Amino acid sequence: MFSKLSCILTILLLAWIPASAQKFLPDDPMLVDRDNLIDVGQPRLTKLSDYYDFLTNTFSSQGDHSRKPAANANTLGEVPDSSWFQNRHGRDRMMTEELVRGPNTAIGPSLTEPWIVTAGKTEGVTPGFRIRDSRGDLYVIKFDPVSNPEMATAAEIISTKFFYAIGYNVPENYLVFFRREDLRVDRQAEISVGLGATRRMTETDLNQLLARTPMTSDNRYRAVASKVIDGRLIGPFKYHGTRSDDPNDVIPHEDRRELRGLRVFSAWLNHDDSRAVNTQDSVVTENGRNFIRHYLIDFGSTLGSGSVQAQKPRAGWEYLWEPWPAFRRIITLGVWDSPWIYVDYPELPSIGRFESKAFAPQHWKPEYPNSAFENALPDDGYWAAKIVMAFTDDDIRAVVRTGGLTDPEAEQYLIQTLIERRNKIGRFYFNQVLAIDSFTVDENLMGFAYMPAPYEFVQRPDQYTLSWFRFDNVKNEKIFVGNEIGAAGPAFRFPPELLSDGTAYFGVEIRDKQRGEHRGEGPAVSLFMHRFSRIRIVGIERTWHVQ
Amino acid sequence: MVEVSIERNSSLASIAVFGASLITLLCASLVYAQDPDTRAARLEQQRQAKSQQLRPYNRSGLESILFELKDRRVLERYQAGFKGFHPMLGGMTTGSGFALGTQFRKTDIADGVLNFQIGAQASFAGYQKYQLGLSAPGLAKSRVFLTFNFIQDNFPQEDFFGIGSDSDAGNRTSYRLEESDYSGSIGVHPVRKLDLGARGGILNTNVGHGTDVRFPSTEEAFNSRATPGLDQQPHYKYAGAFVKYDRRDQPLNPRSGGLYRVEGTYYRDRKLGAYGFRRWSMEIQQYFPFFNERRVIAFRGKLDLTNANSDQQVPFFLMPTVGGSEDLRGYREFRFRDKNAVVFNLEYRWEAFSGLDLALFGDAGNVFQEADEIRLNKLKTSYGFGFRFNTEQSVFWRIDFGFSPEGMRPFVKFNHVF
Repeated sequence: MFSKLSCILTILLLAWIPASAQKFLPDDPMLVDRDNLIDVGQPRLTKLSDYYDFLTNTFSSQGDHSRKPAANANTLGEVPDSSWFQNRHGRDRMMTEELVRGPNTAIGPSLTEPWIVTAGKTEGVTPGFRIRDSRGDLYVIKFDPVSNPEMATAAEIISTKFFYAIGYNVPENYLVFFRREDLRVDRQAEISVGLGATRRMTETDLNQLLARTPMTSDNRYRAVASKVIDGRLIGPFKYHGTRSDDPNDVIPHEDRRELRGLRVFSAWLNHDDSRAVNTQDSVVTENGRNFIRHYLIDFGSTLGSGSVQAQKPRAGWEYLWEPWPAFRRIITLGVWDSPWIYVDYPELPSIGRFESKAFAPQHWKPEYPNSAFENALPDDGYWAAKIVMAFTDDDIRAVVRTGGLTDPEAEQYLIQTLIERRNKIGRFYFNQVLAIDSFTVDENLMGFAYMPAPYEFVQRPDQYTLSWFRFDNVKNEKIFVGNEIGAAGPAFRFPPELLSDGTAYFGVEIRDKQRGEHRGEGPAVSLFMHRFSRIRIVGIERTWHVQ
Repeated sequence: MVEVSIERNSSLASIAVFGASLITLLCASLVYAQDPDTRAARLEQQRQAKSQQLRPYNRSGLESILFELKDRRVLERYQAGFKGFHPMLGGMTTGSGFALGTQFRKTDIADGVLNFQIGAQASFAGYQKYQLGLSAPGLAKSRVFLTFNFIQDNFPQEDFFGIGSDSDAGNRTSYRLEESDYSGSIGVHPVRKLDLGARGGILNTNVGHGTDVRFPSTEEAFNSRATPGLDQQPHYKYAGAFVKYDRRDQPLNPRSGGLYRVEGTYYRDRKLGAYGFRRWSMEIQQYFPFFNERRVIAFRGKLDLTNANSDQQVPFFLMPTVGGSEDLRGYREFRFRDKNAVVFNLEYRWEAFSGLDLALFGDAGNVFQEADEIRLNKLKTSYGFGFRFNTEQSVFWRIDFGFSPEGMRPFVKFNHVF
């Protein structure tokens, strides 16, 4: 009896060794990062300069680019829930109603009484204004460009729902229809027109503003009502470094997996405007504590929309400024050019420019370099691709329908394009690593799923090479046991010697035999298991061709 | 016995191991209680440490400048103006040199029905231009438009090389041209993008001594017999009609569509009865985009015909001209002038990057004394290349280099060529 007790105590001891070098800690894998525990106080509003953001990111390197693994991924390679990201559709499938509802908590601004216009702007290509509804909720009203009715509003609505389902914090955006008589200008409303102070807004200002927006066939205005984000808005976050005024923000943004992986989601949805100024931090109070919640905002320039016109053909393919393509175009008189210039787009004004035939997720680019995107490694891409692939054809169909596109051909085109772009993402990123996942273990058996299998775009490996190891958690060292074993998946028995010797940590390195037969060759997955009262998976590590 | 002994020894050993493990575990627990080594605790430690060093974000100097530029909407305000006043940079007239000025615009008179503008501009070469305008662009549900304009010009260094296509570049002279133009027009938009209208007005003219010290004044080198209008200048009443169909996607930076314009005007010399004439202007612009509109073949053809009344003449300063940054770019501004002119321009434009298009161009054009003398094989040609700094909506800066037998001509302009 004492022998068994000694054994248990020894395991407990090993598990509790407070050594900073150890790879796995008792609370691994961490599923929730409680980054709201320290009161942030009252950080001041800090707006960023988008010109400066463009210049510094285009002409200099921002943040740390040492190609480190993501710093906030847990030992399973997943992103813990935090003030940045909440695992949703990628972890537990959302129901169709949930996907369709997205972040929305109501049905939009109430039309029981006229909306009160509280501010407007006349400058810029697209007009817009703010309203307060009868419930006192504040919304920003955004319209489509005259040249492309439904395009920007549909893009905003659809992308909001996708980004929410993926896991980001996004504003509540509602597709609304209203008539002129549903609006009344507040006596205190101001409008910015030209130099000097803003002036009082009049009903005539509103008429002029509405004159520049398209109308539906039944003489209504179609718009997105974007509910003002809860909390006190303190400006955007950058895609590198940390906020110097937020104690909870300790992981450099360029090393956050959800920001690195955003590149994949942005590629899928063509969110080329994924830059600092389209983010928003908000101070919220919960349990008497102030903390910062991080939002993505403004999805008007997604899919085929460029907000004020159809998306530019360059968007998603090339940065605003790239010296070599520009130089080559100049010296070859434009004879040489990038593939994007030859892409054909359908004549669908409510779609703009969006396609899947030429789309190559690995080559997709935002408007200018983004440190987090540039730091993305294959395992970051794989993490994101898993979430993208979690959206079934029906999921995509349901979300696209929330965009209210009245042209059935346009709607069908958008659905099909998103499906094809999704598949290209899966095909590419699932091939960057050994895409086995959904591991299960019991007393003597380990199983997994080959992720691309349902899609049939990558051939399932016939044979895997397994290298079992004991793991020294203190030294962070694998001690391989026996020879490499060739076996067909998707389930393997544990070697008896690992089960009988009382080793606390052990694991297996799995490789696709065709892509790399021996250790160090080809992409591999190392699965780490911990044995206490039962065997559980504590870590998944992916390696690929070039580290 | 031996077996019992071994068993007893084994039990003792187990007890010893158990005891040691328990003690170690207790020690470890104590340590753990003081310094729990969990993932969450490590993050908590980092956060606690950072909470002692918080500081607000401070913009750098450059960021502050760029932020203020955007936040104060400097560029938008530049476009929007100050209480209706707008700065005017360049774009005065061909050959004026760089000009500065200001314009006051009011666009919300009578609930936006009426627009009013008044402006003044002067260039470093002494050119002056004053204008006043009142317009109603959207009457009758935007189907009818009305405009009234007054323009006063004083251009002291207009180039004149003689009349005819064989004029000598070495005969360059300058003259002062003063014009007062009171005009009004009325038009309709029967369908979208189509303008039909009539225009009429009064044009008073005066020619004086040129101020360009590098060249003689025109009256010193040319006589009035070969240069109609040099010694006496007419005052006109004029009237005409126009048709314009504008299918360009962006008029100030077109990539597709076209512009088709025909205008006929009759000028009656109400002062001298010696310089009455008719003028026909025709223009075609066509844009052929390809590769997602990142390449454009742009074509323009322009024909200006004048026909003097019997026993009357077309004054030299109102004759059609060819040459300069707008048409035959290998030649100086107003290099050739006569009663009729034809110009063709062909440009291949390609985008280098967002904000810069490049262009290769070829120009062909000439002036002719009589319309029936116009021959394509008598056109003078020039060619060149250019840089067009632009937004999607407009070209705001243009640098063109034109080449011709008379040399290379660089042009820096703050406008779009066509």
